[in-house]
Amino acid sequence: MSDRSPVIAARRVTKLYGAVPAVRDLTLEVERGEILGLLGPNGSGKTTFLRMVTGYLSPSTGTLTVAGHDTVGEPMAARRHIGYVPESVPLYPHMRVREFLAFMARLRGVARSEVGRAVASVSERLAVADVLATPIRALSRGYRQRVAIAQALVHDPQIVILDEPTNGLDPRQIIETRRLLQSLAGERTVLISSHILSEVEKVAQRVAILLRGELLAVRSVADTPDLEALFLSLT
Amino acid sequence: MSALGVLLKKELHATFTSPIAYAIGAVFLLVMGYTFSLTLFFTKVANLTYIFHQMYVLLVLLVPVLTMRAFAEERRTDTLELLLTAPVSTASIVLAKFLASLALLAAMLAASLAYPVVLGFYGHPDWAPIYGGYLALVLLSCLLVSVGMLTSSLTENQVVAAAASLGIFLMLWFADSAAYLMPEPLDVFCLNLSLIGHFTTFVRGSLFLSDAGYYLTLSILTLFVTTRVLADR
Repeated sequence: MSDRSPVIAARRVTKLYGAVPAVRDLTLEVERGEILGLLGPNGSGKTTFLRMVTGYLSPSTGTLTVAGHDTVGEPMAARRHIGYVPESVPLYPHMRVREFLAFMARLRGVARSEVGRAVASVSERLAVADVLATPIRALSRGYRQRVAIAQALVHDPQIVILDEPTNGLDPRQIIETRRLLQSLAGERTVLISSHILSEVEKVAQRVAILLRGELLAVRSVADTPDLEALFLSLT
Repeated sequence: MSALGVLLKKELHATFTSPIAYAIGAVFLLVMGYTFSLTLFFTKVANLTYIFHQMYVLLVLLVPVLTMRAFAEERRTDTLELLLTAPVSTASIVLAKFLASLALLAAMLAASLAYPVVLGFYGHPDWAPIYGGYLALVLLSCLLVSVGMLTSSLTENQVVAAAASLGIFLMLWFADSAAYLMPEPLDVFCLNLSLIGHFTTFVRGSLFLSDAGYYLTLSILTLFVTTRVLADR
């Protein structure tokens, strides 16, 4: 894969639940090092699209490639490039933070000899080093969110996918999460979904607006002075 | 360590630190210890045939409680999404959970080896039915755990998973009774589907490949279906 080719490429992707389309004929490319925000009201197909990119769901029609690998034909190769934080922030409450991060690192292919260094590095970056020995069940919502993001970064992936990353966080935690995402720009490709326009606007370089499973527009944030007006006019 | 090894380590830790595992182990060993002592003192016969049938009943009742969490809990807490988006095969995830549950049952059966040791110490038991009985219990455990995992993969409600497993186990147990009501060739099919029918021959000390094949084939088939259920998204 050349440096100029898109890291994520969806071509005419449709996902049907029975006869009901959750995503319809969606074509979208995400460039290397870019932060792209998926924006849309609840039920617009953001989570379904993200789940197809991660390989959790298969497209009913169309093709999706991640780092040049088809998510259906070469799922393992595609998944190796992805770090994913689902909306519900799933964690194993009985595990300690260090144990959980080490487990996720090993699961995602980090060599045993490298696990300690990877966990130390990501826990330092996400400011969870002081709770490494704490059971996850004892953590606050903010710490849980940081641990969830840490597990997505522990194997140093090329692509980071976050579904509604600021849901349920207090204002301070939202600012911290936003700064973290901004710090990832350039070094990693980031795909985030949100139904809060102001959040996406502050973090993303481009936004893709979805409604009822259809991609309505893709705009550069810098070139769209009134994103709010555009969003209202489209939705 | 392969992905399977990493997953197995996590599952073994989760299984052997779970209060459910200790409750199941305690119930199994208490009931079996009580039954063994009672049987030995009343009959004064050095064989375990009755004990093996007791273990069979207890496994049918306890395995649904052991396996109900396997996937239902991961589905309920959404951690299944983490596993299924990691670069590991669905088969590895299923196999790790299967082996961890089987390890707990193997530990329980290993603890029950005290009974043949006592018989060997004080009497002269016929060892063939004892070897056969333990082999049958291991094979039975494989089948029960694989069916329990399949039902757990179909729902996020643990009680539903346990009830469905128990229902399937009882249907398989009494399949030979249904054979009397069936016309040919369905009667033979039902007879061969019987969980207890294949178990009893082992406990008598007879080893037939067809009996071992029944447990192994159904176990592998059920594990395969579980993998497909999880992969079909």
